[in-house]
Amino acid sequence: MSEALRLTRLYKTFGTTIAVDHIDLAVPAGSFFGLVGPNGAGKTTSLSMAVGLLRPDAGTATVFDIDVWADPLRAKTLIGVLPDGMSMPERLTGRELLTYMGLLRGLPAGTVAERADELLAVLELADAQHRLVIDYSAGMRKKIGLAVALLHAPRLLVLDEPFEAVDPVSASTIRTILQRFVASGGAVVLSSHVMALVEQLCSHVAVITRGRVVAAGPVDLVRGATSLEEAFVHIVGGRTGGGEGLSWLAS
Amino acid sequence: MVGVLIRMRWRVLRHSLHGKQAVLTVLGFVAGLVAATVTLLVAAAPFDDARVAADVLAAVYLVWTVGWLFAPVLSGGGDETLRPEHFALLPLTPRQLAAGLLGAAFVGVPAMVTAVAFCGLLVHASGARVLVAVVAAPLQLVFVILLSRVMMAALGAVLRSRRGRDLGILLTAAVGMSGFGVQALVRSLGPGLVEGESPVLSAVLRWSPSGWGTVAVTSSWPVALACVAGLLVVNAALLAVWGVLLVRRTTRVAATASAVRQRRFGGVLPATPVGAVVGKELRTWARDARRRVAMLSTVLVGVVISVGPLLSGDGGPAPFGGLALVAFGCLMAGNLYGMDGSALWHTVVAPGVSRADVRGRQIAWLLVIGPVALALAVVLPAVSDPGTYPWVLGLAPALLGGGAGLVVLLSVYAGYPMPDQRASPFASGGSSGLLRTLLQLGIGLLLAVVSLPVVAVVLVGEVAGMPVVSWLGVPVGIGLGVLTFWWWGALAARRLADRGPELLGQVSKRV
Repeated sequence: MSEALRLTRLYKTFGTTIAVDHIDLAVPAGSFFGLVGPNGAGKTTSLSMAVGLLRPDAGTATVFDIDVWADPLRAKTLIGVLPDGMSMPERLTGRELLTYMGLLRGLPAGTVAERADELLAVLELADAQHRLVIDYSAGMRKKIGLAVALLHAPRLLVLDEPFEAVDPVSASTIRTILQRFVASGGAVVLSSHVMALVEQLCSHVAVITRGRVVAAGPVDLVRGATSLEEAFVHIVGGRTGGGEGLSWLAS
Repeated sequence: MVGVLIRMRWRVLRHSLHGKQAVLTVLGFVAGLVAATVTLLVAAAPFDDARVAADVLAAVYLVWTVGWLFAPVLSGGGDETLRPEHFALLPLTPRQLAAGLLGAAFVGVPAMVTAVAFCGLLVHASGARVLVAVVAAPLQLVFVILLSRVMMAALGAVLRSRRGRDLGILLTAAVGMSGFGVQALVRSLGPGLVEGESPVLSAVLRWSPSGWGTVAVTSSWPVALACVAGLLVVNAALLAVWGVLLVRRTTRVAATASAVRQRRFGGVLPATPVGAVVGKELRTWARDARRRVAMLSTVLVGVVISVGPLLSGDGGPAPFGGLALVAFGCLMAGNLYGMDGSALWHTVVAPGVSRADVRGRQIAWLLVIGPVALALAVVLPAVSDPGTYPWVLGLAPALLGGGAGLVVLLSVYAGYPMPDQRASPFASGGSSGLLRTLLQLGIGLLLAVVSLPVVAVVLVGEVAGMPVVSWLGVPVGIGLGVLTFWWWGALAARRLADRGPELLGQVSKRV
């Protein structure tokens, strides 16, 4: 079976900093894949290169065996992306944004309208659909971004911190949507700092630190007998601090 | 595809058109229409010599082309209503994206009035040449739009690297200043053009692409066809280049990960709240692209005003270059909190720091502008007119002190939000609004008020022929400077303490 996403020897430097150091990663189709790592580990850089937003210095990224950088048009029709801190046309309403993005992807107007209706209703944006995106809250921006990512019925979803700033009810809705998506054969890659969430949602997990994959595989294998959080701290070689010093803070 | 982008841009424009923005747009449209009408009149004007008529028309179209090239730079970063980043995830080829954005570029006041202006080709053409004009006019319009977009995309690519940014700032400031040069050029070349005396000038006007449309409607059929074909080829090439630049923009990031140079002010600045703000401000002036734009254009204005007349031998305002620099620097920096955006929350949540914040910003502004201004004030009169020393040396301290007061007064009372830091450092938002602009100008007039007493004292001395009285202007200026620095700073600090949250809300709005 072909992989939903495969990164091979992916490499990127910014000046003298090596952001991503020859990463290899395979995301099986039908998997819910969590990407975890400390701040600045290279998660967002890797995902940007995987979806065609940042040109790698070396290495390849393929989506269902289609090279993202050699054949970007076919690859991009298969991917839905929710980038972190995305820029979007701020002075469109939520519905207009969905409509134009759908039309730009070549969907028929009727289909776009139907899907926009459903997405806005499910993501509880129906009340806000005629407000400008510039006036949306952080969580609403995440949700309209997710709606744009889902609109063209992709087969691979790449989501950077999808639950950040989203209220619990919407988060639960999004979880259900993603689980249905995976159950129907799609694949989801998400990055997160919330270990409990990754543990609960994902079938696979990869730990990235200092631009390298240090552990990857099914969640049960990676965490072993401990919780994912403990395993993570152990794998990245960290030590949870906070016990010493700061004596002035308590006095 | 193109149609969708055109509708999308139309929507965005309609949503951003309300209130003052709408008024400004209508004003811009009217001004543009006047310019276009003048162009049409030129196209229809009955010149004795048909060749001269064509030359003049080609010259007018060159002006339109140059306008398209530089207007976006001057007006702040060009048109960013639809950014290529918004479409980076869509399965579109670079050519498709460029074509789509080109289509969207037609929606807007500039393209509309330019289209009217280029209809001058239809007016100018006679007989069967009208057919040529029907083809050439749209091609000429596409040419200026593409040229402008490619120029901004190329500049943008340079600007995104940190090293290139300073270069770009200088370049742009130089373009802004080149108005003086253009004026001189028109004055010296204009008469020759109308008289039809300069074959070289005429050839340049005709052979640059901006003149091809004019040549096409005034020449023999083979030349006309060649011109139209030439426009087609140039447009296709520009479109391809733009596509490449768009892809570069959406798939590369500037190397900003390198650590910044550490500056140590520790030995010089006292370890007090005010000292901390001064240190932070000086670092920000050095590191923030937007502040560097403000500072470099200020210095450039000062230098151009000083040196310009000196070189042409007019004398004139040269001795006062340093003073002009202070006034300009005050207006350019008059939105300190807007430039920092929501970072103001640090000041709002810390108790009782508004005085330190305001004073620190005043001192830092003085440290940045002061040395250059004082150097100019001391040197310029000596090389131009030593008799102006009492004026310059009296006004310089008054304006520097008053300026340092006004900078914070403006920033606190008339702060307005600026676009996201990641956007072009030239983008000024443009939506600061008429009222706010008037308020800025009104408060700026206070600077003139500060200088009045000095002017009065020196004038009395000059009229009475008593140099001692004239030189009294210097202590008066110093006293006024200290007074306004202290007084206006105190006003700003009190306002910041009272209305900090309101200012935070104002400057952290998204534009």
